[in-house]
Amino acid sequence: MSAQTPTPRALSLAGAAKSFGHVHALYQADLSVSAGEVLGIVGDNGAGKSTLLKILAGLYRPDAGEVRVNGEAVEFASPLDARAHGIATVYQDLALVECLDIATNLHLGDLPRRHGLVDRKKMERDAERVLTDLNVRLGSVRTPVGMLSGGQRQIIAISRAVRLDRAKTILLDEPTAALGVQERGHVGGIIAELRDRGKAVVIICHDLEFVFSVCDSVTVMRLGRTVATRSVANTDRDEVIGLITGARTDTAA
Amino acid sequence: MTTDEDTTAMTHDTVRAETPIQRVTLIRRLVARQELTLILVLLVVGVAATLRNSAFGTSDNLVEVIRAAVVTFIVACPLTLVTIGGGFDFSVGSVFTLGGVTAAYLMTHNIIWPLAVLLGLALGGAVGVLNALIIGRLRVPPIITTLGTFYFMGGVVILFTGGIDISPLPTQFNSLGTGSVLGVPNVISVGVLVGIVYHLVLEHTRFGYNVRALGGNRLAATENGIAVNRLDVMLYVGAGALAAFAGIVYTARTGSGQVSAGGSSVTLTAISAVLIGGTSLFGGLGTITGTALGAILFAEIDNALAVSGIDALYSNMIIGAILVLAVAADSLRRGRMFSIRR
Repeated sequence: MSAQTPTPRALSLAGAAKSFGHVHALYQADLSVSAGEVLGIVGDNGAGKSTLLKILAGLYRPDAGEVRVNGEAVEFASPLDARAHGIATVYQDLALVECLDIATNLHLGDLPRRHGLVDRKKMERDAERVLTDLNVRLGSVRTPVGMLSGGQRQIIAISRAVRLDRAKTILLDEPTAALGVQERGHVGGIIAELRDRGKAVVIICHDLEFVFSVCDSVTVMRLGRTVATRSVANTDRDEVIGLITGARTDTAA
Repeated sequence: MTTDEDTTAMTHDTVRAETPIQRVTLIRRLVARQELTLILVLLVVGVAATLRNSAFGTSDNLVEVIRAAVVTFIVACPLTLVTIGGGFDFSVGSVFTLGGVTAAYLMTHNIIWPLAVLLGLALGGAVGVLNALIIGRLRVPPIITTLGTFYFMGGVVILFTGGIDISPLPTQFNSLGTGSVLGVPNVISVGVLVGIVYHLVLEHTRFGYNVRALGGNRLAATENGIAVNRLDVMLYVGAGALAAFAGIVYTARTGSGQVSAGGSSVTLTAISAVLIGGTSLFGGLGTITGTALGAILFAEIDNALAVSGIDALYSNMIIGAILVLAVAADSLRRGRMFSIRR
């Protein structure tokens, strides 16, 4: 499933540690993801998943460890820095404005202008192109986001992240939280679409069923460490749950 | 295990096939806006008043209605933006008085009238800066902040004038307020101009879009790199400056800086016009055209009751009822539009 080419990994993290005062949120975290691969990060509450995500997103600077983008060591001073390196993050709150339409939401903070006025035509054209590109059909781009379902909103937020940042790597924080079964299917569809377009996708997710249906590989975190990484094809639910709870430890690498 | 895989495979197919949502038809759009209802109410009131007294329908009287609506409208335009941006400004009535009285005072103290007008506007804008600073830095809710400045500035006006109106004003200044060009009173032209500018700003500039984003979801606006604090300052400065401007226009029309002009009646009328016009108190939604219709409805009802020989007392009762209905309509609309559908 993952690309079998010798090209460097799209994004990798080695030996990352982060503490807040006396609280060690992260002891030792390693992960890597290639272009065209979907990696799931699973673990119990407090395992360090969101700290890990925030390091990759440029929100936290790790106390130790190294982030590499396409094999090159980088340091993110800010989320903007991470964006500049092609890493887009979609947080749980999605950052959408309900009363504005899809086209406007896709361009928030960066509205196209012509003769000093907002160029609605270009905005709608671009929005349609972005959505068609990702194989998303949501009706009119003039629909207020408030009229969309949770899953559709998630899809809009992902599309925006891809559009605004010309992103190569997309980080998703709990994309299925509070979604119904069908909605999860929709979000899974767009994630598959991103993989087909050669994006690297990292998903923080509680929902094992979802992880097994959309991810190529899964990294398990426990008590601030990444304890194991498995190809989804070579593992099963029971093993992953065992790794999460610590009932099973990773002996073979 | 196998059944799990089956269901996920199936849902994947449905994604690619279709993600249906309700299409927004033209009719839905019209119903979703307050303007249509307002035009209907305006017509009904107009017809009823004309049936009772044909004097209502004369063009002279209709111009009078518009002229009365314009002063409210000039205050209500920036207030519409503040409200769409998720804020609120109660202080405009006092700033209205402050602007008119200040400009009048300066004119009677050997300052040429254009400069006096500019200084009046600047003072209004300064009150806006003060409002924005108190709201942004001290974290006092807008309604409390601006209620505070409303009272404070009202006190300043009385202290400053001793409660006495200021006149006489330069004839050139007065004639601007009472004059007309090609039969259209200057006051109305100014109001229409302000309305067009505000409509363009709200519907077609980045500023306008950002204001909607700000009022629609402040956190999301911030996360998308919109400078929310700067927007706040600009909104309140606009409200202050335009309220002062309206006060100055009123001063030019009446020929004196009146201490009793403005105050709570201007604030309440302007806010009611904004809300009746369909602007949401919760931010994000609203239009300048709606506000214009709201301001006209106000003036129309006042006028219609007067020409029909009905006690003005009923005016307040009718306006109160309409206000509540308008906000109820907004709540319904929001509930219909923004409920999450699964």
